Amino acid sequence: MTSPDGNLLQGAPFQDSPYLPSRNASSYNPLHTFDLPKGTEKHYGQQYADMYFLRLAQLKEAIKRQAEEAWKDFELAGEKATMVDRVLDVRQGDLCWIIGTVYMEMALKPNVLDDIAKEHWIAAPPVRQTYMSSSGQDEMMLEDESGRLRITGESLNSHYVTGCVLAALGTEQADGCFQVIATQYADLPRQPQRWERDDSALAVLGKKNKPVTPKRGSAGKLAIVSGLEITGTDDDDLALDLLVQFLTGELGAHPEQSRSGKITRLIIAGNSLSSSSPILSREDFVNSKRDKGGKQQFGYHTSSYNASPAERLDALLTDILPSLPITLIPGASDPANVALPQQALHPALFPQSRQYANPPVKSNESREGLDSVTNPWEGDIDGWRLLGTGGQTVDDLLKYVDEVEEMDVLEMMLRWRSIAPTAPDTLWCYPFQDDDPLILRDCPHIYFAGNQSKFERRVIQGPADQKVLLLSIPKFRETKTLVVVDMETLEVETVEIGVVQPPTPE
Amino acid sequence: MPPKRRSSGIAPKSGQSTLAFHGASNKVTKPGTRAQNTKKNIVADPVAESPKADVVEIDATVGSEPTTTEASLLDQTEKEIVAQQAASTPEEDEARRITDARINKYWTAKEKARKAPRVHQNGLSLHEKILQEWDMSGQYGPCTGIARLKRWKRAQRLGLTPPIEVLAVLLKEQDSENDSLSVQRSLVDELLNY
Repeated sequence: MTSPDGNLLQGAPFQDSPYLPSRNASSYNPLHTFDLPKGTEKHYGQQYADMYFLRLAQLKEAIKRQAEEAWKDFELAGEKATMVDRVLDVRQGDLCWIIGTVYMEMALKPNVLDDIAKEHWIAAPPVRQTYMSSSGQDEMMLEDESGRLRITGESLNSHYVTGCVLAALGTEQADGCFQVIATQYADLPRQPQRWERDDSALAVLGKKNKPVTPKRGSAGKLAIVSGLEITGTDDDDLALDLLVQFLTGELGAHPEQSRSGKITRLIIAGNSLSSSSPILSREDFVNSKRDKGGKQQFGYHTSSYNASPAERLDALLTDILPSLPITLIPGASDPANVALPQQALHPALFPQSRQYANPPVKSNESREGLDSVTNPWEGDIDGWRLLGTGGQTVDDLLKYVDEVEEMDVLEMMLRWRSIAPTAPDTLWCYPFQDDDPLILRDCPHIYFAGNQSKFERRVIQGPADQKVLLLSIPKFRETKTLVVVDMETLEVETVEIGVVQPPTPE
Repeated sequence: MPPKRRSSGIAPKSGQSTLAFHGASNKVTKPGTRAQNTKKNIVADPVAESPKADVVEIDATVGSEPTTTEASLLDQTEKEIVAQQAASTPEEDEARRITDARINKYWTAKEKARKAPRVHQNGLSLHEKILQEWDMSGQYGPCTGIARLKRWKRAQRLGLTPPIEVLAVLLKEQDSENDSLSVQRSLVDELLNY
C-alpha cells in the first residue's frame, strides 16, 4: 500500500503519470507575395490592360522556348513553322505560330448591364452556374498588344479559359479565323529544393564560416481544413467541438493522441464564417421590408449586427492555438475584401486569439501562433513550398469549361503558370501595374485549393523533374473531413469527424 | 431622490474658457473654394475681397484638387524621383550622358523609316514628338494610368529594351522643371481620363 519513499501520491492505487505526447514545433517561413500596400498607397486609377500586358510580357520568353523546342522540326506539306511576333500579322496560308492570351467570348458571362438592371429594381438574373452557352456561340480568341484573332480547332476542345497564355501553331483561313493544329503552354516553372530559402538565408548570415546546414529533425504533419462556415447557431457546435478536441489531443486514447500529436500546424483554407456582411444584401433588404410590414431599415444598424459567428470562430481558434499554430486564409464568404488577392483578416475580428499573433504594427507575420494571411498564399512549411487558395479561382474556372475535374483545373493552372487566369475577367482583382504576383514564379511542392466538393489528391510531374502534390480540400461543413499531410513523406490521409446516431430502440 | 436642480438660472462663473463656434480662427471651409464670380461677390465690397484673395493658393487657377488619376501619376513620379535621388541606376547614368545630337539622330532615323511625313505635329517640340511616339508604341504596354518614366522603367525590367533616348528625354524634361504632370502624363491618358 505504501510506496518505498513514503510519498502517498505514488504507487497503487495511483497509476503512473499519464501519457502526455508532446508536439514538435513546425518550421514556418511565410512569403508575402500577395500583400498589397495599405491605405492610400493602393491606386485604382490604372486599367486592367496593364495586367494582361504584364502577364504576356512575363510569360512570353518561357513559352517561346517551349514552343521552339516542340515545333522546331514540325513540317506540314513541306512547310516549316515560323514564329510571328504580332498576332495580327499572320498571313493566310502560311504555317506559323503565335503567342497570345486567350480570351473567351461567352454570352452568359456577367455583364455590367446586369448591375444597371438591378439599380432600377428589376430583378437581377440569378447567379449563373456556368458561363458556357448551350448554343455553341462561344468564341475563343488570342490576344496581344496588336489585337485579337479568332481561333478554332479541335485541339482546343474547350479546355482553355480567358487569361491563359498560349502558343498556337496553325494557319489563317479564308474567313479570317486561325485554324489551330497544336498548342503549347509555359509548363511548370523551376521548383526550389526543399529548405532552399532557409538555407540561403543562413548562408547569407554565416558568410565568414562555411554554411553549415543545421540538423533538422523529422517534420511532423500538416492539417488542412476549409469551409468551417460558422454561423454562430447551435447546429455546428458538435462537429466543431470534436474537431477542436481531435486537434488538441483530448479525443480518444493513446493511439489517437499520438496521431494528433504528430500534427504540427493547421491551415484553415477559407470560408471560416458563413456570411461576411452585417449589411443586408439587396434581396434581404427587400424581404425585411416586406416582413416588417413596410418599416424600412436604411443603412447598417448596430442592433442588427450579429457578432456570434465571429465570436464562435475566435473561441475555436483560442481553443486550438495554445498547442497548435494556425495559418488562417480568408475565403469568399469571409469578411475580407472581395477582389483577389484577399488581404489578411483583420486582428480586430479576433479579440482573444490575437494575443497569439504579432500585432501588425510590429511585424507582418507570426511564425508561431495565429498567422492571418492573404488569399492566395505562398509560404514554406518544413522546407516545402506551399501554395494555397480559398477556392474562388477554381470555382470560377469551372464555370468556363464542361466536364472537367477539379484536379485537372489545379493541374492546368500550374502548367499555365497562372494562379488566377480568369482574373480580372470574371473574378474581381486588384489592378496590378508593376508586377503581377498571380503569375507563378516558383513551382510549389504542394498546391491546395479549399472549399471544394470532395477530397482528392494527385501528383503531377514537370518537364524538369518537378513533382507537385495537388490537394483539393473539401468543405468541412458538409463532409466533416480534415486533410492531414505528412511533411516528411508527403503522404496524405483524411480524418473524418462523424456523428453516429445511436439506433433508435424499436 | 434625484439631485436638486438649481432653479435660479444664474450660471456660476467658472474660470474655464468657453468654446467658440464662430469667428475667423475656427473657420473650417477653405478660402477660395467657391467660384469667385458669383453674383453675390460682384455686389459685395471688392476691397473686402482682396485680403481673402491673397490667402487663396496658386492652384486656384488650375481648378480643384487633382483627380484620382492625376494623383496616382503624381505619386508615381514622386516615387521615381525619390528613387533616383537615393541611387541612380546605370541606365539613368547612361541616359544623362546622351547628347542632343544623338537624340536628333534617333528621331531622324525614326522619321526616315516612314514613307510619309507625320501630320499634325507642327506645334510640338522635338521632345514632345519623341514622347508621343513613346506613348504610341504598344509593345511596352498601355500608356494610360501610368507615368511615362515608370512605364520606361517597367519595360526595362521586363526585358523589352526600350530606347535609351526616350529615358534621356524624360530625364532632361524632369530636370528642366516644366510642369511634371504634363510631361509624365501621356496625351491619350489626358483625352481618355479627363
